[in-house]
Amino acid sequence: MRLREKWDRASRTYDLITFAEDLRQADGKRRLFSLAKGRTLVASVGTGNDIKFLPPGLDVLAIDISQEMVEKARPRAQRYEGRIELRVMDAQHLELPDESFDTAITACTFCSVPDPVRGLREIHRVLEPAGRLLMFEHVRSEIPMIGLMLDALTYLTRWIGPDLNRDTTANVRHANFRIVREENVYFDIVRAIEAVKASGVD
Amino acid sequence: MTRSLRSLFFVGDCAAGALTAMATTLAVRLLVSPPFDMVAAMMLGMAVGTLVHLVLGLVLSPLLGMFELMVPGMFIGMYGGMMFGMRDSMQDTPLPTALWVGAIFGVVVVLGVEFWNGQLRKRSVAEGGGR
Repeated sequence: MRLREKWDRASRTYDLITFAEDLRQADGKRRLFSLAKGRTLVASVGTGNDIKFLPPGLDVLAIDISQEMVEKARPRAQRYEGRIELRVMDAQHLELPDESFDTAITACTFCSVPDPVRGLREIHRVLEPAGRLLMFEHVRSEIPMIGLMLDALTYLTRWIGPDLNRDTTANVRHANFRIVREENVYFDIVRAIEAVKASGVD
Repeated sequence: MTRSLRSLFFVGDCAAGALTAMATTLAVRLLVSPPFDMVAAMMLGMAVGTLVHLVLGLVLSPLLGMFELMVPGMFIGMYGGMMFGMRDSMQDTPLPTALWVGAIFGVVVVLGVEFWNGQLRKRSVAEGGGR
């Protein structure tokens, strides 16, 4: 199944499936996203559940690969106390100029992007020098037994949604970001990552 | 998250843990009885417990969160399934007793996982991140 179709389909049940997580992870997301400043890229916005955690007054471009997700996000975007533009776009191919954002935000994005390093390099490209990357992601646990379980479950979950065993921290470094802070939100699986754009290329 | 909501989730986690363990107890009981080979019973219990926790995790995750169910559920299903299988291969425990023991085991695992999670969260803040 193509990626766009997969997430169009997932948009129908996404809010239901993430209902409890939305409540349980609210504090962590609000704390992390409060660091956003200026022109902000949100990749990927999904159904717009996380818009309520953004600090007011930002100038936001929120993208998602799924048209259905973007349509679901629209009413939530209208309630935001700031400026939000919604666009359908692939995080691996950002149709955006270089160095045009101060902050990039991702929430459960790089568990789904097929080539995460490529997507992160795209974000690196569109961020201003020393631009900030704020990520709220679930990753593979470093606890061996839990990590193996996540590996096994990924065979199932990738058909309907995300991978559960990505090493997103390593991917962030590969994409030439410097990690400033990492916080375990739930176990070492759900993590808040704050990184800044490092200069130069790998 | 408000304190009352946090408490509600805590109660929900404990109830889900107890339910997972009781369902595992029941499923293992249906398959294993003396004189079942103990090693085979343990392996079967582990497989059954894993299956039970995956199914219950799928059903309950919209209410409690996928990862918050999966981590304790995995320990309850796998280790609980093994222990219940071992017990049921050796002795004929009355079902109500087995279910109570299962429920207590489930809650104890949830409390242990909660404590472990607290330690991991503290560590990440204290170290200022980085691996």
